[in-house]
Amino acid sequence: MKTGEIVSNRVLQDEYYEVKFYVPEICRKTCAGQFVHVKIANLKDRILRRPFSISDVSEDGILTVVYKRVGKGTETLSTLPAGTVCDLLGPLGNPYSLPENDEFPVIIAGGYGSAATYLIAKNSPAKGILLLGARSKNDLILIDKFTAAGFDVRTSTDDGSQGHKGFVTELLDRVIDENKDKKIRFYACGPTPMLLALAKMFQDRGCNDAELSLDHLMCCGVGACFACVVKVKADNEDGWRYARTCKEGPVFNAGVVYTGE
Amino acid sequence: MVDLTVDLGKFKIANPVMTASGTFGYGFEYKDYYDLRELGAVVVKGIAVKPSHGNPTPRVAEVTGGMLNAIGLQGPGVDKFLHGAEYMPFLRQSGATVIVNIWGKSIEEYCEVAARLEAEREGIAALEVNISCPNIKEGGIAFGTDLKLAHKVVSEIRKITTLPLITKLSPNVTCIADFARAVVDAGSDMVSLINTLTGMAINIETRRPYIANITGGLSGPAIKPVAVRMVYEVAQAVDVPIIGMGGIMSGEDAVEFLLAGADAVAVGTAIFVDPYTPLRVIKGIQEYLEIHNCKSVSEIVGAMEKP
Repeated sequence: MKTGEIVSNRVLQDEYYEVKFYVPEICRKTCAGQFVHVKIANLKDRILRRPFSISDVSEDGILTVVYKRVGKGTETLSTLPAGTVCDLLGPLGNPYSLPENDEFPVIIAGGYGSAATYLIAKNSPAKGILLLGARSKNDLILIDKFTAAGFDVRTSTDDGSQGHKGFVTELLDRVIDENKDKKIRFYACGPTPMLLALAKMFQDRGCNDAELSLDHLMCCGVGACFACVVKVKADNEDGWRYARTCKEGPVFNAGVVYTGE
Repeated sequence: MVDLTVDLGKFKIANPVMTASGTFGYGFEYKDYYDLRELGAVVVKGIAVKPSHGNPTPRVAEVTGGMLNAIGLQGPGVDKFLHGAEYMPFLRQSGATVIVNIWGKSIEEYCEVAARLEAEREGIAALEVNISCPNIKEGGIAFGTDLKLAHKVVSEIRKITTLPLITKLSPNVTCIADFARAVVDAGSDMVSLINTLTGMAINIETRRPYIANITGGLSGPAIKPVAVRMVYEVAQAVDVPIIGMGGIMSGEDAVEFLLAGADAVAVGTAIFVDPYTPLRVIKGIQEYLEIHNCKSVSEIVGAMEKP
């Protein structure tokens, strides 16, 4: 456990915020796709930590979290001024494996899934493509950062307010077609229905080079409580078992995700 | 210098602070945080005869001053527990004092898991018989809310093992002292209490319960006064060691349980808040004893002054 002083905490756009903590020990160990478990200071009547994807880390010890204000925890977090100290556990969870030198990364992100995948883009040898989907154009975040990292960003929105009107996964076939000559490695993070649809698609196509970041309501963050489980394939009579996203995930190969009922 | 060791009759522990079953995994999950020998005992998550999936998700909900859970005793089964590297073999090597929590869907299943552990008991200090999980339909709480069944399951397990038996009691009964008497009469060497209180929370926008199981067990600081009261009642009723738990967040909280009559305590939900809580609780108890010129923990057990 490390105490992390908030260096800055600001509105990114709409309901989305960006908070930066000074936690050099955590930054040194962080890999793409990992998370920190934050005990939010000044949270009234609530005792549990909140998990946040690590969006970025810097060499001078600044860890960035991008979050949406959705409940009591994130509401309180959004009010904390610079100088406030929070307890952070981390980095936790299994990371994405970064692309090899000969691999071409294609990231599929839904909503603030772009925050959890930015470190892939930042650290990838090859500059690839981000397919970013959200409800509306105000929910498309971090496009600038991916562009600055050299990624080609293509967007979709449910309401058609920016980019393709429809699901982000509908952009995928064309990208695959355009890059047939390349060895593509896929990465995804977003709402569970999107990830399950992707898992099924990759499995149907026999693609083993896809990694998905799954999660569920988390409690301990270290694998002890079995709250945050998702179904993965297993060699038992049911064909599945519950895996802890905090410890065995959050990143899973698409091939192991159980997509049945 | 304060002596923190606690004599629980059948065995001794280095200090009075354990982990509550279900909140510390199998110890392995916390191995990188501190040496497990620093704890009075590690009480592992419930072990049954067979592996079990547990309940559908969502399994937890946060509420004022605590949380609801209905994990439903997901677990590896006794075979894997005894032989999987990250379970008992790891615990044996860690040198921790290990208490294995057991459960079953029938008396036969309780007995089978007890027999399997008895057969490979090296490194196991005691069994904690869980007759109080509120989140599974068969077994668990069915035994913990019926005096005859509670007596029966403990007396059948007693025939199978000479390992010390701790029976974990449910607070979801009218008179917990009656259950303490029943299980002690059946051969339980000690009792632990309380398990979670059955509760519920509803999302008023979706009008759905927050937990897939609809109801869940309430834990955390919200339940501490209930737990202290029940430890006090049980301490009046039986003459065996008591392990008190329910909402302990600090050394001060733990001292309340000791004064109410607990010989040792367990930290549960607070581990989710901060994995180091058990160590802080140990330190807090030690400081309290020093400040109050006590030489041992036993000096304050049941030492509450009547009003």
